[in-house]
Amino acid sequence: MDEHRVPGRSSSDPVDPGATTSSPGGGDLAADETAQARAELSRRNFVLRALAFIGGGIAAVLGIPVIGFSSAPGWQAKAPIRLLSTSIVPTLRSSALTSVGRVADFEVGAPQFVKVDRPIVDGWVAENAPVGVHVVRTSETDVAVFDPHCTHLGCPLAWSTGSRSFVCPCHGGSFNSDGDVIAGPPPSPMVRYEVQVQDGEVFVGALQEGA
Amino acid sequence: MGRIGRFIDERLDVSPLVRAFLDRRMPGNIGWFHTLGSATLFLIVVQIVTGIALSLSYVPSPDHAYQSVLFIDQTPFGALVRAIHHWAAGLIVLLMGLHILRVFIWGAHRYPRELTWMIGAGLFFVVLGFAFTGYLLPWDQKAYWATVVGTNIAGSAPFVGGAILEALRGGEQLGAVTLARFYGIHIWVLPAALLLLVGMHLFAIVRQGIAASPRRRPLVESEPGLSRREAYAIEYAAEKRAGKPFWEAILKDATVAAVLTVVLLALALGPGAPLEPQADPNITNYVPRPEWYFLDLFQLLWYFTGNLEPLLIFLTFTLASLIFIFVPFLDRGRHRHPRQRPVAMGLTAVVVVGVLGLTYLGASASPPGVVRVPPTEGMSGPELGGLQVYNEQGCSACHQILGIGGQAGPDLSRAGRRIEEADMRRQIVTPQNDEMPAYDGLSQQQLDDLVEFLKSLR
Repeated sequence: MDEHRVPGRSSSDPVDPGATTSSPGGGDLAADETAQARAELSRRNFVLRALAFIGGGIAAVLGIPVIGFSSAPGWQAKAPIRLLSTSIVPTLRSSALTSVGRVADFEVGAPQFVKVDRPIVDGWVAENAPVGVHVVRTSETDVAVFDPHCTHLGCPLAWSTGSRSFVCPCHGGSFNSDGDVIAGPPPSPMVRYEVQVQDGEVFVGALQEGA
Repeated sequence: MGRIGRFIDERLDVSPLVRAFLDRRMPGNIGWFHTLGSATLFLIVVQIVTGIALSLSYVPSPDHAYQSVLFIDQTPFGALVRAIHHWAAGLIVLLMGLHILRVFIWGAHRYPRELTWMIGAGLFFVVLGFAFTGYLLPWDQKAYWATVVGTNIAGSAPFVGGAILEALRGGEQLGAVTLARFYGIHIWVLPAALLLLVGMHLFAIVRQGIAASPRRRPLVESEPGLSRREAYAIEYAAEKRAGKPFWEAILKDATVAAVLTVVLLALALGPGAPLEPQADPNITNYVPRPEWYFLDLFQLLWYFTGNLEPLLIFLTFTLASLIFIFVPFLDRGRHRHPRQRPVAMGLTAVVVVGVLGLTYLGASASPPGVVRVPPTEGMSGPELGGLQVYNEQGCSACHQILGIGGQAGPDLSRAGRRIEEADMRRQIVTPQNDEMPAYDGLSQQQLDDLVEFLKSLR
């Protein structure tokens, strides 16, 4: 082994246990020493294996809960498992029915951005927090409500009155007032909210993700 | 050695270790370029020290994060410490990139230092992880939106994308859970990985000695019949004989560290650390832009479109990462000198130009939808009217004129030269493709002016 070593390098290798087997001398004494060395070597191997076993056991027993806890949001993920994964809007989720105004407040074909307080749950935080939505009146009686995040990478979508489209400032994605993609990289239409119209008042419910 | 030194040495006998470390010989032609690695290490130490200090006053919760950063900035030296942490983060990415480039050009990733390279590649990803998790923490607009985009990019991996995304965010939404997780990853998980990898990297460097600079002809001609290890050992021993002691080289490293300290202080006291308004998830006119070192990746996303985009992004990043990690096994061969490796050097140049080009394009691209094209001198009345129509109708959401506007539609900088007037009129009112909305609500005057304006673009 020594002749392969880079010259000038310090020899700090642990003592090779095999070296004891080639000790000079002869006779029974040497044979005894050799047998003793062999026994020691096999015990050494045993101890090292036992150490690996004990260490592995401890790592598994402690590692499973630690890694399991840390990665829980991953293996509890609601996103479907599929080849072409899609982005997920960052909006704080709420399933409550929240009024965003009356149908008559909105002009047909002229989307409006509305912020409403909704009861959200964010980890250990449960509170009323403002949530912004694009409200589009599509006919005399119908209203569509969109989440204001691009389906490409989640950048904020603003309605551009001139080009009559929702425009994404990141990579130029744009959507028409129905939320359909008209240009750029977004892979899917804008995310809609569940909408209920009761007596002319518009209520939004849960996000309709993956729809 | 003073009395305290003798006291310690009498008990622990450390002076032989110190002597062996300082006096070990190293190859001679070690110059300023070799300080890039130690400069990176120096900045890592700066980050650890300033990061610990910042953590004393920072609270990782959406209710308090931004206010606690404002509080840090108002505490004596707080703004300075935060600014040093901010600028050192950027400098680490820069110096690490240059260090990687230096090592590759010098051929120091070759046998027997493949493992050192791969550990270093791991360090590169850990540092990018630090950058990514770090800039959420101030909870300002840039923080929030960069993380929205970043987690979505991570979520583009096939099959496990959703799981990765939700593991990062701590659920589907980006909020309190996300911030706590990013903080925990930033101050515990990544530092642990960093210290482990830095330890391994340094162990490998000290154990093997620093790679000699490549020579077109080796110092000693290799004898036939020697193993690769033997030939290397003889060659490296000759390099060390012709070399110098290690303590000689530390002076250059220390000089660079001192210069970096001055640069850091200048940046921290000059521009300081930026802080945008507090994160507002419900804003529609914010234009997300990443930190400069992610601009190249951000710009790259312009060029992936269609349904297969997430897969293409994932495959590109994965392939690039694998090539980067395993490059010592791809770029082999006898010669280490860059002039004897034309293919490797050519590809390196392509990568460098690509990264610089994408960064430049990303930095100079103006966001679509929010810009107006300014009038230029000597425009006629109808042309000015047309420009007004162009701006009012938001044409620059998709089209570019002389670098202003989006990239979704064709560049109109030379529309007057490229497009016939009749085609212009038809395309505006009744577009032939699905992507462009029909502008059939324009008055005849508006349309005439707009066409007049477009015709003037030559």
